[in-house]
Amino acid sequence: MDRRNFVKLVGTASGGAVTGACGRQAEEIIPLLVPEESVPVGVEQWHPSVCGECSAACGTLARVMASEREIEVDGELVRQKIAAVKKLEGNPLDPVSGGRLCARGHASLQSLYNPDRLRGPLKRVGPRASGQFEAISWDDAITEAAGALAAADPGRILFLARARESVRSENIARFLEAVGAPPATSIGVGDFAAERASSERVFGRSGLPLYEIQDSSLVLSIGADFLGGWASPVLYSRRYGHMRQGRRELRGRLIHAESRFSLTAWNADRWLPVWPGGELALASAIGHVLLGEQIADTPASVVSIFADVDLEKAAGAAGVPAETIRQTASELAQASAPVVVAGASMVRRNSADAVAAALALNWLLGCVGKPGGVIPPADPLGVLARQPRFSQDWSERLEQAAVVLVDGVNPAYNAPASQGALAAAQTVISFSSFLDDTSAFADLILPDHDPLEQAALEVPAVSPSPSIAAAGEFVAPLYDSRPIATALSELAEAAERPFEELTVGQAVSTLHSAVESAGSETSASDFEATTLRDGGWQGQPSGKPPATPGTLGTFEIAAKQEGVMFQAYESPQFGSGSGANRPWLQELPDPTSSALWGLPVEMDPATAERLGLVNGDNVRIRSEYGALEAPVYVNPAAIPGVVSMAVGQGHASYGRYASGRGANPMVVVGNARDEKTGCPAMGPTPIRLEKIAGGARLVQFSRQDRDLPPHRV
Amino acid sequence: MAEQTAEQTEQGAERTPQWAMAIDLDRCTGCEACVVACASENNVPTAGEDQAAMGRTKHWIRIDRYYEGEFPDIKVKYRPVMCQQCDEAPCEPVCPVNATYQNAEGLNVQIYNRCIGTRYCANNCPYTVRFFNWFAPEWAEPLNLQLNPDVSIRPSGVVEKCTFCAHKIKRAKLDADAQGRELADGDVQPACVQSCPAEAMVFGDMTDPDSKVARQLGSGRSGQLLESLGTKPRVFYLEKAD
Ligand code: SF4
Ligand code: SF4
Repeated sequence: MDRRNFVKLVGTASGGAVTGACGRQAEEIIPLLVPEESVPVGVEQWHPSVCGECSAACGTLARVMASEREIEVDGELVRQKIAAVKKLEGNPLDPVSGGRLCARGHASLQSLYNPDRLRGPLKRVGPRASGQFEAISWDDAITEAAGALAAADPGRILFLARARESVRSENIARFLEAVGAPPATSIGVGDFAAERASSERVFGRSGLPLYEIQDSSLVLSIGADFLGGWASPVLYSRRYGHMRQGRRELRGRLIHAESRFSLTAWNADRWLPVWPGGELALASAIGHVLLGEQIADTPASVVSIFADVDLEKAAGAAGVPAETIRQTASELAQASAPVVVAGASMVRRNSADAVAAALALNWLLGCVGKPGGVIPPADPLGVLARQPRFSQDWSERLEQAAVVLVDGVNPAYNAPASQGALAAAQTVISFSSFLDDTSAFADLILPDHDPLEQAALEVPAVSPSPSIAAAGEFVAPLYDSRPIATALSELAEAAERPFEELTVGQAVSTLHSAVESAGSETSASDFEATTLRDGGWQGQPSGKPPATPGTLGTFEIAAKQEGVMFQAYESPQFGSGSGANRPWLQELPDPTSSALWGLPVEMDPATAERLGLVNGDNVRIRSEYGALEAPVYVNPAAIPGVVSMAVGQGHASYGRYASGRGANPMVVVGNARDEKTGCPAMGPTPIRLEKIAGGARLVQFSRQDRDLPPHRV
Repeated sequence: MAEQTAEQTEQGAERTPQWAMAIDLDRCTGCEACVVACASENNVPTAGEDQAAMGRTKHWIRIDRYYEGEFPDIKVKYRPVMCQQCDEAPCEPVCPVNATYQNAEGLNVQIYNRCIGTRYCANNCPYTVRFFNWFAPEWAEPLNLQLNPDVSIRPSGVVEKCTFCAHKIKRAKLDADAQGRELADGDVQPACVQSCPAEAMVFGDMTDPDSKVARQLGSGRSGQLLESLGTKPRVFYLEKAD
């Protein structure tokens, strides 16, 4: 720990009692967790926290200072002193963030202080999705929800949640066990189901592999926009910076293959504009050429998937010239420390195969477990074994469900086809802090505390070494919300089912016994105190987890789909759409189009010209699934015939900053899925386009796409 | 010996740092983390869609991006741009009331309560990094709780811009003083520098030969934005090495 961090980090342990001298009535209503006299005006404290915006689970530090807010007490406005979070930074002790944060991480502060947060539990009074709710007491809300649960066939209780390895997930699992319901499932957004399945096939180990790009001499990424949001953007951006300029003797190079000019493509020395869905063909073709280079001892099962590839045909399906493929393969073969980063930032019908083929290239390159190569997933820590996993049949189960519980996911937005089932379900219960697209369908909303208002413990999706990020409580909740674990335990109690909440402290003790058992000198209480003070725990890298290819199966390369194709993607600021209610992110220029407060449809200049479109004109896009209207951005870097749109806008309901703004591309993408994992695809979807009059405006931060002299260094 | 030490300390105390920033474009990914970090640190208000449509957003730091070439051989050039803290600042001489000037440490400072809002400075800045407050900023309750008490809120009618996080410089000096030591390299980290995941930005005293920023300036890739204008910026860009 360097001096600066030593100064900044203070313990989080503090009682709930208010001992302040002032003793005004308001302060007794919402006590400060950090007693107010310990936060003098102008003095800052830094408390560790865990970013909940994506599965990277960056460890953060929250800057806490004395502040004031106005609240009403018995019809009278009083000023209440509170400890407020002023800023979030990365926690330097955290191996994932390393003290850094991404744009979304910073903006998560605007979830805590969002003016549209729900003030307390709500009960629906109008039709589903009408947005008509009325306040209800927690007691009544719990009684009603427990009644619905008790009346339901436990097999028809469906819990939709995020696939995170966290104390939160464990409590959801315990609750479902208590009521006899099946485990929670994710909806396949942001949980990397295709990547996990591929790791199982290619390394015989589940989880996400770790790419050691900081030590690579040449990185080829296929389908993984690792600088723009995939897997762990802060960690991989740090590693990328090091790859470029962190070594005196070597500047690493990057070749990026993706069907759009993403942030990672921006940064690449060479971009391979692969036709959407052609990633498998590309990886296979590269593998085929590499076989000819005879560069490593390769397991036979890996050789067999590449041996019979027809290079010309595969190149055609990928939309990348065979010559470029040969050159890329030969550069990889000659590189001193090559690695292939395999991902599906945009899931396709064949993503499970595409990611597996790309990942298997690492066997050909001999870089599995090598410096600068790829490290197969390590054994799980075993502390939190039961996170929700994506299950293919969630939408069918949704149609059958009697009670649907929703936490942290937004199916009505990300899978618009689920709206019918949400409207028809007997009971929908949401734990959201916002009246978002899905909670608009809920009968009851039991709002959770904001992530910054509660203790948390999470295992990051990838980490340089086994680690967890953990946080205690440090600011009092602003409103009449309850942590989901409390709500679940009250629900279980009302339904007379045995439920024991797992606390963060208990999870830390379990971790202590798991990792410190052999001749440890640290006592359990010391371990817990250190873990909460530092914001987590980090063990030694597990060396080289053994890996051998599992069953790879056969890969079928489909011919290139002709016609104008549409694809949706997750942008760095909005992710799967949850960022849209943060004003900082709405006013952050979209990297591609420079759009503010809205997202355009991106298309190449030739397609735009054919349709007579210029920047800001509006189009109607139709697919067999649905239609949308949006302004156009003519993207000089778009693949001719590939129309893209970032996910983020088009929320029917998500507070003042997001509601009714722009269009949701998932409406057009429809319900295509990756054939092997069932994970929702983001295209390619054949579309028809037409210019329309009027429509939404395109507000751009910078209208200028080309540099004008003398704008250069 | 003791005397010498005292003298050294005195010299040290008199030393005036010359602040500068180096941005390594070979590391920068264009992720815009710095942009949000800056808004958060400096109470930079959002303008909303209608004002944004009129070009009235305030981004103390932005990522300029320009496409070069044609598909498929297309590249994008981009760089974070903030107030360049020019030594020969075109904004300074045009201010009728001396609301903006260069201080002893090389910061181009803006005195909000002296500013009378002529906007001459913003018009004369070749980097377009100065912003006029057309309205008093507003934060819908309780977004105001996020505000940093170390940074003043700018009223309507004044111009604002990147300060190199002057309040953090001040805080770092006070902290160092309280600990009875000199300011060390890395003590001051403006919000953008602190946040940058790719570690593309370095800030420090360019006259201290051991500082990271001084070493970056000597890397052979260093240049300035619109150098030919002679504005002598304190922000240096290390060009991509390819
Ligand atoms: S990478 Fe994910 S976890 Fe880390 S700061 Fe960004 S949103 Fe939060
Ligand atoms: S945070 Fe760093 S990498 Fe991201 S845009 Fe800013 S300078 Fe570039």
